Amino acid sequence: MSPADHIARVPLSFLLPGVQARVEDIDEAVSPTQREQLVAYGLAPNRPLVVLQQRPMTIVMIDEVELALECSVARHVWVKRR
Amino acid sequence: MQSASAIALVGNPNVGKSVLFHRLTGAYVNVSNYPGTTVEVARAPARFDAAVDLVDTPGVLTLPARSDDERATMRALLYEPLQAVIQVGDAKNLRRTLTLTALLAELGIPAVLALNMHDEASARGVTVDAQALTEALGIPVVPTVATGGEGIAQLTRSLADARTLQPLLHYDGTTESALAEMAARIAELAPHPRLTARGLAILFLGQDSEVEAWLKQATGDVYTELASARDAAHAQGVTPAALAHERGEAAGTLATRVTKRTAQASPLLAHRVGQWIIHRVWAWPILLGVLFAVYEFVGVFGAGTLVGLMENDLFGNVLNPLVTQFVQKYISVPWLADLLVGQYGLWTMGMTYALALILPIVTTFFIAFGLLEDSGYFARLSVLANRLFKLIGLNGRAVLPMVLGLGCVTMATLTTRILHSPRERLITIFLMALAIPCSAQLGVVLGLLGGISFSALLIWVVSMVAVLMLAGFLAAKLIPGRRIPLVTEMPPIRLPLMGNVAKKTVGRLKWYLIEVIPLFLLGTLIMFLLDRFGALPAIIRAGEPLVSGWLGLPPEASAAFVMGFLRRDFGATGLFAMSHQLSPIQAVVGMVTITLFVPCIASVMMIIKEQGMKVTAAMLALIIPFAFLIGGILNHLLRAVWGAGA
Repeated sequence: MSPADHIARVPLSFLLPGVQARVEDIDEAVSPTQREQLVAYGLAPNRPLVVLQQRPMTIVMIDEVELALECSVARHVWVKRR
Repeated sequence: MQSASAIALVGNPNVGKSVLFHRLTGAYVNVSNYPGTTVEVARAPARFDAAVDLVDTPGVLTLPARSDDERATMRALLYEPLQAVIQVGDAKNLRRTLTLTALLAELGIPAVLALNMHDEASARGVTVDAQALTEALGIPVVPTVATGGEGIAQLTRSLADARTLQPLLHYDGTTESALAEMAARIAELAPHPRLTARGLAILFLGQDSEVEAWLKQATGDVYTELASARDAAHAQGVTPAALAHERGEAAGTLATRVTKRTAQASPLLAHRVGQWIIHRVWAWPILLGVLFAVYEFVGVFGAGTLVGLMENDLFGNVLNPLVTQFVQKYISVPWLADLLVGQYGLWTMGMTYALALILPIVTTFFIAFGLLEDSGYFARLSVLANRLFKLIGLNGRAVLPMVLGLGCVTMATLTTRILHSPRERLITIFLMALAIPCSAQLGVVLGLLGGISFSALLIWVVSMVAVLMLAGFLAAKLIPGRRIPLVTEMPPIRLPLMGNVAKKTVGRLKWYLIEVIPLFLLGTLIMFLLDRFGALPAIIRAGEPLVSGWLGLPPEASAAFVMGFLRRDFGATGLFAMSHQLSPIQAVVGMVTITLFVPCIASVMMIIKEQGMKVTAAMLALIIPFAFLIGGILNHLLRAVWGAGA
């Protein structure tokens, strides 16, 4: 097992601006419709992202898409730092 | 008249479908830099073949359809006599584009792909190999820049080569057998004239409500068999999420294969500006700067300078004396002359209000609004407003219809379709009907209260925000349902194209004038008749306890409220016209009450269309007494603080 595998999953809302991460999972606390939307926006498992800011909302960049998520959603998106 | 053949423009939100629609038909539909501008299907004959209708559809984030605009697009796919679709995709966001392509491929409609905004993609170091994509999809792929007209001729030519897409993926074994079984049933029970049974099966298993409705209608009693087969498939793990995941994965793989990314040395200026606008510190001075610029342009230049030029110089000194002279010379019937150029004359009141007072204000407002819309600022405003809107059970997305409502509440009521739940729509429409003044009214308020003092204007603003928050807070508590947290995409910051802003402004002014002039004339006629038959003094006397006693306004202000029943801005203009008789407190109280008062007839009609008669009646029954209640409370409060003489 590589050292990277030991890095714990953290909620997206915990990451500082500038940190790169990879999406692991979106948990059941997010409604199915909103989960579908997130996946359509590109926030799908295994996809890389960069955190741009956390206030007033969590803003991430996925490829060329800037996506804003309320904290109540971002804390249920589980990611691993890259 | 609808053509026998149509081509639909289909794509994700904010990819340029409406610009392309304009290029291909010459017909202009509203175009803006935020997702959800198109809420209804638009149709016009194609320039390249007048026998074919081009159909512009609202953007779809996901199919199977989940929102109203996605359902509208799905209906177009199901019911329009489509010979082909033009999928419009964002070249810098190929994965999302191809996720939709994967579904269109299953539906079996001949297609071409317009890979739009490839200039923006290049600026970000993203290049798409269109040739490789053509080979992978089996359809023409044309890079376009719709705003600049690039690639349009090639796209038109390529329509002759439109063909069915090659499938992008094969699902896993269990899913494939569930799909095959469902498709066989659909093919047997309800074959669609254009769409494949397999495509419909995917949408039905994905719980698309429009496909569900179509199948229900087409299969009648046997629909229950399909529904049970779907439940069985879901139990086997063939769920909407699993299907969407597989499509997304396949799209991602192909997108990666045909896209080349070059690392950028530094982020684009537009990208940095976009981040400053929502920065936790810089956002606020920028917002104040934007508000100040809008105030200077609309409030000072539009409502001050331009209205002055139009009202005094053009109408007061030139047109009105000329028209009056003409009427008095050629019309000998006194009451008819009075109807045209008297105190409540169709020309001296109706047309003068509409053209000299309102037109300059709405024109400057629509220009400012169009510039902000196209820059991408408004979409970022939803991020800034989110926390505030949380207090009233909404999310920041509702800021868009509300800001649009500052232009025209009627148009904005239609835009509430971008909100995701009926509850959000109901609350937003109610709040707009109550406390969002349209640009004409806003201009009159700025003109009257701004002329008195900054504090008068501030009291009006604070009262409106307080009422909005209080009413919203109560509505959110009383209307059942859950608030939906905000998840939104930030469109790129762009330099607005003056041509588009001008076209939009002209389109909106046309809508506005068609709506406003007949109502202003009707209002003037009613006022004339009431005055002529002596009813106005009776109304003024009847309204005296409320208007003079409770609101503390001069008795004649009752006339403004009668006018306000037709349009709030007509009423506000009535108050504006008697401003020399009003003390500062009376001006503030009058303006607060008339702003909260019933929305105009056109927006009431739109509310009926969107929410039904019962809900509209309940809204009005709440709004009218509430307006007088708040106005009276404010009157007594201000008099207690500043004394009756102020």
